[in-house]
Amino acid sequence: MVVTTPTFDLVVPERRADVRDDAPLEHPRIVAREFSVFYGRTEAVVKVTMNFPHGLVTAVIGPSGCGKSTLLRAINRMNDLIPGCRTGGELIFDGQDIYKPNVDVAALRQRIGMVFQKPNPFPKSVFDNVAYGPRILGIQERGSLRDIVERSLSRAALWEEVKDRLGDNALGLSGGQQQRLCIARALAVDPDVLLMDEPTSALDPRSTARIEDLIGELRGQYTIVIVTHNMQQAARVSDFTAFLYEGLLIEFDVTGKLFTNPGQKQTEDYITGRFG
Amino acid sequence: MRRSTRKLIDRSFSGLGVMSIVLMAAALLVILAPIFVRGLGAIFFRGTVEFRRMQLEQFERGSRAAVEEETAAAAAARAPVYRMLAEFEEELSAMAAEERRQYAGQLREVRELVTELLGPAPGTPAPVLPRDQYGQTRWDRARFKLDLLLQRTEYDYSDAARMGREVRVDRARDFAGTRLEPLFDYLRAHAREMLRPRLTAYLRFLTDAPLDSHFFGGIWPAILGTLYLTLGAMLFALPMGVISAVYLVEYAGQGRLISLLRTCVSTLAGVPSIVFALFGLAFFIHSLHVTPGKSIIAGSMTLAALILPTIIRASEEAIRAVPETYKEAALSLGAGKWRAVITVILPASLPGILTGTVISMGRAAGETAPIIFTAAVSVGKAVELFQARFWEALAQPTPALPWNIYNLATEHEAVDEIRHVQFGMVFVLVLLVLLLNAAAIALRARVARRLRG
Amino acid sequence: MSGEEHPSPARKRRKAPSGPASSEGLHGRRSSLLLSARASRMRRAAGLAGNGTLLLITSSSAIVVLFIFYFIFKDALPFFRLQGLGEFFTSTRWYPSSHPAEFGALAIFFGSALVTLGAIVVAVPLGVSAAVCLSDVLPFGMRQAIKPVIEILAAIPSVAYGFFALVVFAPLLQEGGGRIMALCTWLLGAPVAVLSTVILADLLAGRASPRARAGVRVVALAALGACWVLGLQILAARLGQIEVASGTNALNVSLILGIMALPTVVSVSEDALQAAGRELREGSYALGATRAETILRVVIPAAGSGILAAVILGVMRAIGETMVVWMASGNAAKIPVPWYNLLEPVRTLTATIAGDMGEADHVTGSARYHVLFAMALGLLTISFACNLASEWVLRRAQRKRGA
Repeated sequence: MVVTTPTFDLVVPERRADVRDDAPLEHPRIVAREFSVFYGRTEAVVKVTMNFPHGLVTAVIGPSGCGKSTLLRAINRMNDLIPGCRTGGELIFDGQDIYKPNVDVAALRQRIGMVFQKPNPFPKSVFDNVAYGPRILGIQERGSLRDIVERSLSRAALWEEVKDRLGDNALGLSGGQQQRLCIARALAVDPDVLLMDEPTSALDPRSTARIEDLIGELRGQYTIVIVTHNMQQAARVSDFTAFLYEGLLIEFDVTGKLFTNPGQKQTEDYITGRFG
Repeated sequence: MRRSTRKLIDRSFSGLGVMSIVLMAAALLVILAPIFVRGLGAIFFRGTVEFRRMQLEQFERGSRAAVEEETAAAAAARAPVYRMLAEFEEELSAMAAEERRQYAGQLREVRELVTELLGPAPGTPAPVLPRDQYGQTRWDRARFKLDLLLQRTEYDYSDAARMGREVRVDRARDFAGTRLEPLFDYLRAHAREMLRPRLTAYLRFLTDAPLDSHFFGGIWPAILGTLYLTLGAMLFALPMGVISAVYLVEYAGQGRLISLLRTCVSTLAGVPSIVFALFGLAFFIHSLHVTPGKSIIAGSMTLAALILPTIIRASEEAIRAVPETYKEAALSLGAGKWRAVITVILPASLPGILTGTVISMGRAAGETAPIIFTAAVSVGKAVELFQARFWEALAQPTPALPWNIYNLATEHEAVDEIRHVQFGMVFVLVLLVLLLNAAAIALRARVARRLRG
Repeated sequence: MSGEEHPSPARKRRKAPSGPASSEGLHGRRSSLLLSARASRMRRAAGLAGNGTLLLITSSSAIVVLFIFYFIFKDALPFFRLQGLGEFFTSTRWYPSSHPAEFGALAIFFGSALVTLGAIVVAVPLGVSAAVCLSDVLPFGMRQAIKPVIEILAAIPSVAYGFFALVVFAPLLQEGGGRIMALCTWLLGAPVAVLSTVILADLLAGRASPRARAGVRVVALAALGACWVLGLQILAARLGQIEVASGTNALNVSLILGIMALPTVVSVSEDALQAAGRELREGSYALGATRAETILRVVIPAAGSGILAAVILGVMRAIGETMVVWMASGNAAKIPVPWYNLLEPVRTLTATIAGDMGEADHVTGSARYHVLFAMALGLLTISFACNLASEWVLRRAQRKRGA
């Protein structure tokens, strides 16, 4: 495997200045402190301590089974669905440990949206898919729903393609369109954070490029955490990168630095393709 | 073993498999064919003038003028029969006493058969029961009666080792030499003119009330009763079944309690239907006193208990088939568990649930045993549901197709005379069930297409 | 809450990460992340109440099962108190309405067992070979075409089967029972005869010395073939002589019950065969086995417990069936002579309950009423045991596969 030198051409240029600086880390959106996730007895994420910077894209990479998806799903407590899943340490969002018992999980999830590995639109119309979240928030009025749907679809760069078939079943869209629809659906509740769990792994290269462009456009407006097994993708889209191996956080740094000058041997081995 | 032999065994093995499937299909065909053919015969048959007369007089259908004209024509053709009978009676009175006794019994038989075939002789007072007021209304029955009239059956016991053999004897031979002898040739030659068979489509068989314990008329009350019982059962079983399925899949962990509940569901599925009948009688009627006796509501409840496990299983399967990612997506948008179930999971599994529901509706419609003691009566009016007192209508017993099929086929006073009604009922019931199943298959195909697309 | 309140998301867009996270300008309707203690309690209570309600509804099937057992047992008990156990299980004298009444149900239990056995003899070979054919022999398209046949067989109401048995099949059997049986003997016997003759001749020839092989084969073929033809002819002639006194008998009911149990047997054993897995089959094919050898030696043993479960479920279907036996079994409460004589009428538990309740209902509280519940208890016990057995067998099979 050839190591690509990460280029930041895809990233909006003026951001680079901020990124080189470590300043964003002082104002993190999400903070993990000694955070662990257990499935029964196995510890999938081991005492991870890191900051997810505000308004930037953080990539989480690592070989399969390293706990990167688990970490991501822990951020909006999707792991609650898995029986026998426990956590340790703290995961702080907005100044609150989200694993405290009195946390309103539904409210949390509204503020931390998620995009899944495989596009998973509901078997409903395009409109109903996007309007699903706002409706949960209690917005019933058709006009404002329409506004939100249009805005969300535009932001997900899908509006032009689907504006004439908002009533069609979303399962009739192409895979890439479905995934952008899922992003639009997540944006419709106006979250602060967007979690993306290998959002392009089920897509063809063209659709992947569109999604990556989209991530570039959303950067700055949302705090984005993206899990990917594709290192070029991580290099292309992210500002910061975390490398996880067997549940441990091996390295966390500015993306450019991590890929060109990794501080750890394991990281280097991984990004040069010696394992994983 | 030689290779050719191994191959032969292999081939014959496949042949055996194919043969068993062919046998199965053949069994289905053998069972369905008579039900369909003879069942359709209840609706499409060759009706005689007696049928049209009955329709006019009992149901006020058809043109009076046409029927009267036809009746007159038939009466003209029948006149020689009555004349010959009268002449023979004269002849009889002139005979010696012993000879007269010998003929009297046979004459009585002939007269009875003529009455059965053609209806009461002109001039005799009209009988009370509708069944006695008309001759044979169906040409196939008429032909059968005519056969009885032309030939009588004797049993030959000459071979002591075997059972008696049937021998048919021409009645013309019995009356040879008398003035009644030509009657039989006349009947044979002029049966059509006397009864005037014509192809008839009695579609109202489905919507008519029965007349004179199913001798005439249709089967509407039974159809209606079956529909009420089926829908009533669904009314109880569907919500309970779907909620149970949701709970078993979405809410419950893998605890002891759940495995116990599952065992209960499968136990319930295995309980023989006749036990449900006793349970319905002992629980709903004798203990809960839902109604003082048999009623639609008690029957529906019993049927609901019977189909509950089917619905639970089908719904469970349908809910499990919904991709987990739908639920995750809903939850990640901040939906609560309830909301995810109602807005995403249930709609996505609805076709599957409906498929199971429709199949269990078929089951409820066809079950006989559970309603024997809880709902069904053999004779009854169509239940008017939309009357002032809704509850009272539901508290009535009702005729229902499955029960009436049993009743008419085994307990009716003239089982053989109304075979066509029995076949008609079986046909309608089977058709109803098959249509429900076809709907289920179509639904399933649609789901499969959608999951693919 | 109206749409106007919904603030434009643009308002809160931050150009760049700047300063500490501020949640100002978020949706007005958005609640705080933390619940107050009271809201939290309320929510927990609501969740508990909702869960409880759901559990209650879900338990309804368990409650029904419990009630069924309770009510049947409650009404069965007085019978045993009145009449004791002995007569019920050991006597064959069933005269519930005479004075004094006799309640010997042995013949009725026997009748149920006999027709169930007959049904199994029909349904299991036919059903299992059809299942094998569906899962291993036929192409996928054919399978889709045949599935509806099985579904229709399963869907036809039992009263329609009963009506067919009584009105169509019974007269046929009564008129030409002997001839039908002779014909069936030939139809079923001939393929078996040809096949076994060829195979046996081949085996014998294989033992002979190479020079004599052809001769041995011819002789063996001729001898075995002659034996078979003679045997079948004698059997068919014997059966052809039989006069069927009444078409409503155990044979009629067994056949129809067998057909009714077929769909259950086919679908459950097909599932079991499918579950045996492709790898297993491919392993066997890779060793050069033919399809028949693969199925007989590898697939069927692997799916054995599933097939056993299918048989048990078929038994349950046959033993619990009411309408067919009530209409077409002849309803004579006696053990046929000899016991395997299927041409005599029998009476079963289900038919007795269905038939006698109409009269016994007027005399609620009498032994005559309670004896029917005692029979229902017997039926319930049998089907419960069968059910547990089939579950146990299936679960064991699953564990075996999982391991």
